[in-house]
Amino acid sequence: MTATTSNLLEIDLSARKSQVVDITADVQTFLGGRGLGAKLVWDRVPAGTDPLGPDNTLYFGIGPITGFNGAVTTISALSPLTLLYGFSCVNGHFGIEMIYAGYNAGILLTGKADSPVYLYIDDDKVEIRDASDLWGMLNLEAQQQLRNRLTNGLQNQNLAIATIGPAGEHQVRNADICHDFYHHAARLGMGAVMGSKNVKAIVVRGTKQPKYANATKLAELLIAYFQQNRLYKAQMRRWGHSYTMPTRYYASKEGVKNKMLGWHDMCDLSNPVLHEQRYKLWNDSCALCQVGCKTPYMRREPPLGPCAGEIRHDNAGGWNANVLIPGYETQIYLTPLVDNLGLDSEDVSGVVAWMMECYERGIVSRDDLDGIDLTWGNLEAICKLLRKIAYREGIGDILAEGLKFAPAKIGKGSEAYAMTHKGVAITSYELRGALADAISLAMVPVGELHGLGKGRGDPFRVLADSLTVCAFLRPSLNSVFGFSTWGAEMLNAVCGWHLTEEDVNTIAHRLAMIERCVCLREGHVPTQDDTVPDRFFDEVIYTKYGKPLKLDRDDFRKEREKFYLSIGLNKDGIPPKEYLEKLELEFVMPTLEMMGLKLAP
Amino acid sequence: MVKNQQSEVSQKKRGYGAKVVAQQPKFPEDRWGVEHLPYPQGVAYIQARWDLCIGCGACEMVCSLSHFGVINRELSRIRIYRYLTPIPKSVQNVCSQCREEERECQKACPVDPPAIYYDDKEFHMTVDMDRCLGHRCAKCQDACPANVPTFYAPEHDCALVCDLCYDSEGGRRPQCVEICPSYCLEFLKPEFPQHLDRVHPDEKAESFSRKLYPLPKDKVQRAPEEIWGGEK
Repeated sequence: MTATTSNLLEIDLSARKSQVVDITADVQTFLGGRGLGAKLVWDRVPAGTDPLGPDNTLYFGIGPITGFNGAVTTISALSPLTLLYGFSCVNGHFGIEMIYAGYNAGILLTGKADSPVYLYIDDDKVEIRDASDLWGMLNLEAQQQLRNRLTNGLQNQNLAIATIGPAGEHQVRNADICHDFYHHAARLGMGAVMGSKNVKAIVVRGTKQPKYANATKLAELLIAYFQQNRLYKAQMRRWGHSYTMPTRYYASKEGVKNKMLGWHDMCDLSNPVLHEQRYKLWNDSCALCQVGCKTPYMRREPPLGPCAGEIRHDNAGGWNANVLIPGYETQIYLTPLVDNLGLDSEDVSGVVAWMMECYERGIVSRDDLDGIDLTWGNLEAICKLLRKIAYREGIGDILAEGLKFAPAKIGKGSEAYAMTHKGVAITSYELRGALADAISLAMVPVGELHGLGKGRGDPFRVLADSLTVCAFLRPSLNSVFGFSTWGAEMLNAVCGWHLTEEDVNTIAHRLAMIERCVCLREGHVPTQDDTVPDRFFDEVIYTKYGKPLKLDRDDFRKEREKFYLSIGLNKDGIPPKEYLEKLELEFVMPTLEMMGLKLAP
Repeated sequence: MVKNQQSEVSQKKRGYGAKVVAQQPKFPEDRWGVEHLPYPQGVAYIQARWDLCIGCGACEMVCSLSHFGVINRELSRIRIYRYLTPIPKSVQNVCSQCREEERECQKACPVDPPAIYYDDKEFHMTVDMDRCLGHRCAKCQDACPANVPTFYAPEHDCALVCDLCYDSEGGRRPQCVEICPSYCLEFLKPEFPQHLDRVHPDEKAESFSRKLYPLPKDKVQRAPEEIWGGEK
């Protein structure tokens, strides 16, 4: 049993050169995906770099076990939306193609191409090709074009394509990267970074033998998981991920009318049962996932039909009742529109909801909005505004800056109505439903990212993102094997290491910490920034059954301190020196100390 | 337990990487459900319900594991292909053990007697590894209307076709059928001539495109301007 090596494909777009780098040592300490992405940003991107400039890097990260159990590709860079560390996860079949192409530590893009290009990677062949004819195309159109051009019989039918839409090309700060039409690396503006590098698409095809150390052990783990987990699929596979919405509306955990209300009759229209029976097409899964929670829908009846799309909590939650759009039936039209333009469905829904409230309160007039009558639930107005944002036309040029910069540009007190956390829109989540939710959302150092339950700031979520395991599989892995045990066994089987469960726990904390350190370096002040908008503390909402809900500032502060201490920080959210040493992160200390941070316990 | 008995010994002989076992029912007398359908004797093949395939690739994983002891989908005898119809859809492709008159691969093989042939005693296709000419010939692949036989030149340059996981002691337990999480694959005796089930993946994908009529391949909706008017 020999340890496997980790190869990173580094492509310098300015010089149009590529090389394969062995980064096994880094992978041993930071695994891959989200954690390794933070380390690469720390190493390669100087503090205070313009995220949309040529000095930023874009890392298509996978982990050692991607392609065996876990299909996530974590794309990371300095985020243009928050100016902190940014990453975004995309499932599907992109990661497994990278593994089969032999780049088991991912692909790193540096520099900037001088004209629109797309990257074609076929095993060892890496080509930077002209994409001027693809530039300007919508996501699906560009992907279909590339497929028609590059597939040649069944031999390379399975090539994986990631593209950006018009929003990414115009460097809209919340633009996304799209893979296979409905898989999106949507959050934190990774599409804008790709657009700033003039890269329209990345095409990967791999046919090599993937590397692993111990076939028997690996097969045992994979097959045990497939067998024991058959039952877990039931809910997810039947209704898709949107099945969580009604429960959440009834608990007032889902935003209604830009967080002004706790319940609206429209919430009942988000009905997964009717939706499944009327519109569902089939199930689709990501690589080596037995759940298959992707459930595409098609609506045939006019006026909106025929249209087809994939609806899940993430892209439906921000739109439905948050902007008073009547349920999933209308969502089937809206979702593919946003997807095709290449906008982050979640973030842009927050921007639109904010604009709607400003319009209702008279802060912006119809003239300011270029004649768009942006009343609540006006689908036509939303579609027009989205187009303006994606192409940065008129008012869209301001709104494309995202909720960190746009409120200041609009002014007139509009800042108070921007529901944002570190610049990322809080869209689907209503935090007054539970204090724990508010805490786990506020504690994510990079900004709001699906913060409920064990939020994305939790070290074990960071571990899952770095191992590149889907967030939906984590609970079931936990119940079958125990997550750390499984992580250790899987890493040992694939990489030939000798990790124990303890080691994996240490790694989890190290990964969470390096991400925090990058954010601290970029100017994140925990006690100031780890909070939620005032509306959640000051305004009362009522659930459907009339129960009042509000957050309390003192409780929030106390819980926040508890959280900081629980993950090894001091009560101001700064990592103590001893803890950094324990996690072998000594190299961050000089930089942080130079910034005047007191690394005291 | 009439069906599919396969001893531990025979599995070891075949070099199985791991053993897949059908899920045990909670109460042994309740042997209902797709996974407890008795396996057929005699002529049979792996049938797929196209719409149920979720494209996870578990079948590819166990196929390469059981035949070669490695995880490599390129070495699998059942293959998954992905299409944008425009909604992404995966379709699978596996040998349908055609009847003699329709067995195009065997007819096309330039070697005499054919290196790819139907084993009449054991009821499955076989490839004679010593005599197969490999990917440079690939006449069987071209002749098969569904493009089923594949080659993986770097490690096993010889046609790969489904042998129903047959072992010399008479056990037939197709591993892909046993692991398929969506019950898309079924191991049944032919209910109609097999070649009707032998459809090229492109054509399977085309049928899903038709389900999405009238959407074209690169659009999933009408533009907002077409619905509400106004400038583009």
